[in-house]
Amino acid sequence: MSQEIFAALMVVALLWPLALVLREPLMAALNARGETRFPLGPLWATAPLPALLLALLGGEGSLALSSWLLGGVWVLDETRRVLLAFTALLWLLAGWYARGYLAGEGERATAGNGAASARLARFAIFWPLTLSGNLLLLLAEDIASFYLGFAVMTFAAYGLVIHSGTRDALTGGRAYLIMAVLGEGLILGGLLWGAGSLGALTLGELREGLVNLEHGVWIGALLWLGFGVKAGVAGLHLWLPLAHPVAPTPASAVLSGAMVKAGVVGWMATLPLGLVEADAAFAGLGRIMLAVGLAGALGAALIGVCQRHPKAVLAYSSVSQLGMLAVLVGMGLAAPGLWPALAPAVVLFAAHHGLTKGALFLGVGIGEHPPRLPAWALAVLLTLPALSLAGVLGSGLTTKWVFKAALYDGGFAGLVTWLSLAAVGTTVLMARALWRQWQGERQARLDGLMPLAAPMPVAWLLLLVSALALPLWLPVAGMRPASPPVSELFGLWWPALLGLAVALLVGWRVHRQPPRLAWRRPPPGDLWWPLTRRLGRLWGGTRPWLARLAAAKKGWVAWWAALERSATSALDGLSEREAWLSRHGALLMMAVAVGLALVLLASP
Amino acid sequence: MSAAFFPVATLATSLLAAAIIFLLPEGAFRARTGLNLAAAVLKIGLVAWMVRGLSQGHSYAVEFPVLEGLAFVLRADALGIMFAGLSSLLWLFTTVYAIGYLEDSPNRRRFFGFFSLCVASTLGISLAGNLFTFLIFYELLTLSTYPLVAHRGNPKALAAATLYLRFTLTAGLVLMLGMVALHALAGDIRFGQREVLAEFGAEQRGTLIAIFWVLIAGLGVKAALVPLHGWLPRAMVAPAPVSALLHAVAVVKAGAFGIVRLVYDVYGAELSQALGLLTGLAIVASVTILYASLRALAQVELKRRLAFSTVSQVSYIVLGIGLFGPLGTIAALSHLLHQGMMKITLFFCAGNYAEELGIHRIDELDGAGRRMPLTSLAFSVGALGMIGLPPLVGFLSKWYLGTGAVQAGMPWVIAVLVASSLLNAAYFLPILYRLWFCPGPDHGVGEWPAERHLGRFETSSWLLVPALATALFSVLAGLFAGLPYSPLEWATRVANLEYLP
Repeated sequence: MSQEIFAALMVVALLWPLALVLREPLMAALNARGETRFPLGPLWATAPLPALLLALLGGEGSLALSSWLLGGVWVLDETRRVLLAFTALLWLLAGWYARGYLAGEGERATAGNGAASARLARFAIFWPLTLSGNLLLLLAEDIASFYLGFAVMTFAAYGLVIHSGTRDALTGGRAYLIMAVLGEGLILGGLLWGAGSLGALTLGELREGLVNLEHGVWIGALLWLGFGVKAGVAGLHLWLPLAHPVAPTPASAVLSGAMVKAGVVGWMATLPLGLVEADAAFAGLGRIMLAVGLAGALGAALIGVCQRHPKAVLAYSSVSQLGMLAVLVGMGLAAPGLWPALAPAVVLFAAHHGLTKGALFLGVGIGEHPPRLPAWALAVLLTLPALSLAGVLGSGLTTKWVFKAALYDGGFAGLVTWLSLAAVGTTVLMARALWRQWQGERQARLDGLMPLAAPMPVAWLLLLVSALALPLWLPVAGMRPASPPVSELFGLWWPALLGLAVALLVGWRVHRQPPRLAWRRPPPGDLWWPLTRRLGRLWGGTRPWLARLAAAKKGWVAWWAALERSATSALDGLSEREAWLSRHGALLMMAVAVGLALVLLASP
Repeated sequence: MSAAFFPVATLATSLLAAAIIFLLPEGAFRARTGLNLAAAVLKIGLVAWMVRGLSQGHSYAVEFPVLEGLAFVLRADALGIMFAGLSSLLWLFTTVYAIGYLEDSPNRRRFFGFFSLCVASTLGISLAGNLFTFLIFYELLTLSTYPLVAHRGNPKALAAATLYLRFTLTAGLVLMLGMVALHALAGDIRFGQREVLAEFGAEQRGTLIAIFWVLIAGLGVKAALVPLHGWLPRAMVAPAPVSALLHAVAVVKAGAFGIVRLVYDVYGAELSQALGLLTGLAIVASVTILYASLRALAQVELKRRLAFSTVSQVSYIVLGIGLFGPLGTIAALSHLLHQGMMKITLFFCAGNYAEELGIHRIDELDGAGRRMPLTSLAFSVGALGMIGLPPLVGFLSKWYLGTGAVQAGMPWVIAVLVASSLLNAAYFLPILYRLWFCPGPDHGVGEWPAERHLGRFETSSWLLVPALATALFSVLAGLFAGLPYSPLEWATRVANLEYLP
């Protein structure tokens, strides 16, 4: 592909979603007659198509724009192609799915429901806007473009999270936004500090220069935590289980599949992974990342199985999977020599989890509105991605093999055991999610079925196939993952089998004798609730102090005002006395003169 | 044409416009509007001509002695012409806006007369070539702004205007004392003659430091440094175009510009750094940034919140000055321009809400995005820029401030910047949430405080177009910051003049 076509395709890939953003208000303005139309047309759904074409056909290359921001550099390399391919594909299919998911709202809107049409218009604008941010951050190599993409994606996604406008949606949206703003602040601090110290304008310069800086590891820590908000690092994950269940299902899919990966992309772009000249401090940071990642991977599984809403279970599963990803990224700092083998594993893991989790989320919507399929077929189709995520088949199996092989070769067998334990947790979570979904689905079947050719089932099935067959089509985007030999299969399967056994055992036990209610189920967003309560109390405690401070300031101003008043009145007094003097001056002088004369006369 | 022509002509444009407007009768709407716009456009043309000439190496200056050893100097240098360009460009928008805003209101002759005078003084400030000339126009600015703040004539406006006058006249006196002290010490220093003060030995250190802080106290009132900022939030009772003038074009900018001149052209960055003055400035600015952001959080009135935001944002300029090194200078100078564009947008929008819907308080803004989408879009652009998100110009300022802080060896400033960004987000995002996501009267919930239908679009075009134009500028100046003559590029050019021999 020639350089010109490549550059044009790259620009089109980024601008096409923005053009669709602008199209919506323009159409609304032109169509002032008042008839409502369904804004999520087929054209709207093509937003990620140029980006997908770029990833599959584009090859590698870069584009430099000197007048853009601080100097733009957009790059498509091997890693970025895979990330772009799965991101664009997920957005494309989720967008198509949304056309069916929101069709009911579209009917209400055309029937004259103003609130529904406003919600739809908002969705039609924020969806491609979020997408454009996501694409830009993947392609950007200069720091300004990357931060731009990250910020656009983060803030535009708020409009998707609060789509329904219910109280829960607003709470989820608030948690999302507060955490996101905190993350942005940390990222900004890290980027400014790092780029300022190095004079760097691109991510590559930043990443490679970080190891030579005196405070490099602190900058690294800021970036780890800042991107960690998006990547669900344990403790910063609070928004995930609150925002996912309330967002519309296609939005949950891209949120959990593509957008949280932006955090991992941020780590890979800014942290000095695999640089052997990194000092012991960075290795320490890597070990901390690793430990926190493992804690998240296991802890999220424990909290997740207690959830009722299938999307909350899936959100905790995302936290768990992202914890595993964080472990692998942390290894890149702790054992830099291993990174060349681990980096493809991380990318593959991101792609696999992105598509599979997308398919699982879309499956929740399918469970709520089942298509005209026999129940057993639907059950099998819903179970397939869950099995893949647990590492039994498809892309999950390949991913697991790739990172396991890399870790074994590096001599980290203990870590593999820990990750397998997390995989047990994943299996239990999947079983829980499917169970909750199954219970919901039985009710939905009574409400009626939808045709198989509708956008929802089509998009879901396509995503399902592309997720399972990821290792087969990924070579098109330039990556060839190795498939596991048959002799290793049991080593890869035992966590899933163990997880299944645990799930069945616990399920049977709970079914026979439900746990007593003295034990309180952790709510979605676990720590969010005690934290907000504590902060609220803290604010209540500081209020009287603030009032006292304000009163003190008022007193100070009043003191000055009083001083000024007394000074003015003293001046007024002076002028009064002067006026008296001017009235009686002549008389006074006369009296003095007479007095003096008398004294003169009287003196001898 | 001679070198003296352009500075004088630029200044005369506004002065003459002011004089004619005072002579025109109150009812001569068309003549006044035409004159205003013609003067604004002519002035932009003259400034643009000087920009071109400067980059080709011409120089523009005029001077004549007033007393023995004291001269009146007008001179266009790169820094001055940058400020002149900003004020004349924004003046055009403010004029258009003011014409729309004051339609059918009394005392328009007085308003526009002083309005022109005000801008003439701002131009004088930007072209002044020494402290004496600077002070003349600085005081003229104070006096010509008073009638504008008091324009509405109600007790609240009169009280605010009196407070403004008290603050600024006292400050002018302090400034004059400092100037006289400096004159006694070193004679008439032209801006740019940094070697004059640099030659003083160690025995004069204390005097120089004392004079510096006296001058800063004088300039700090207009630049609204805490604790000298009290007048600014009170002055928000003035009509919206005046607020725009106060916050973005003239008054606070004159203070900040004065500090820029003082540090870079009188003391020189090296001497200021050696005397330890820059660190002091950075600390004062940081305190102002954080304190004003906290105060802004607590405000319920839209314009008051914006006013505290100005206090905080103008101190970014001072903070940039306090960061020794070219990056800090670029940050200061570019933010001088960037803050102007963003803040004027915000005040235009606040004025639009007040005029069209009668909205003054933040909680009345619910759902205004549906009723006035373009105004709300412009407001969002300004607010996101203030938070410092790319691609808006606020991000560029923040970027250069942060990198400049590291260069100056003060990485703690980054913590201030991050805290300020978070606070900005905390007080701007709820407004955006109300605008776009809360159901309001147009969704059938409640009603607007005082709705009027001023124009064919969401409001009168005279009000809408300036807000959109300045919002567009702040997006384009950010997106294409690398193009020649963008604010950032021009600031970089000036900073290079300062630091490269």
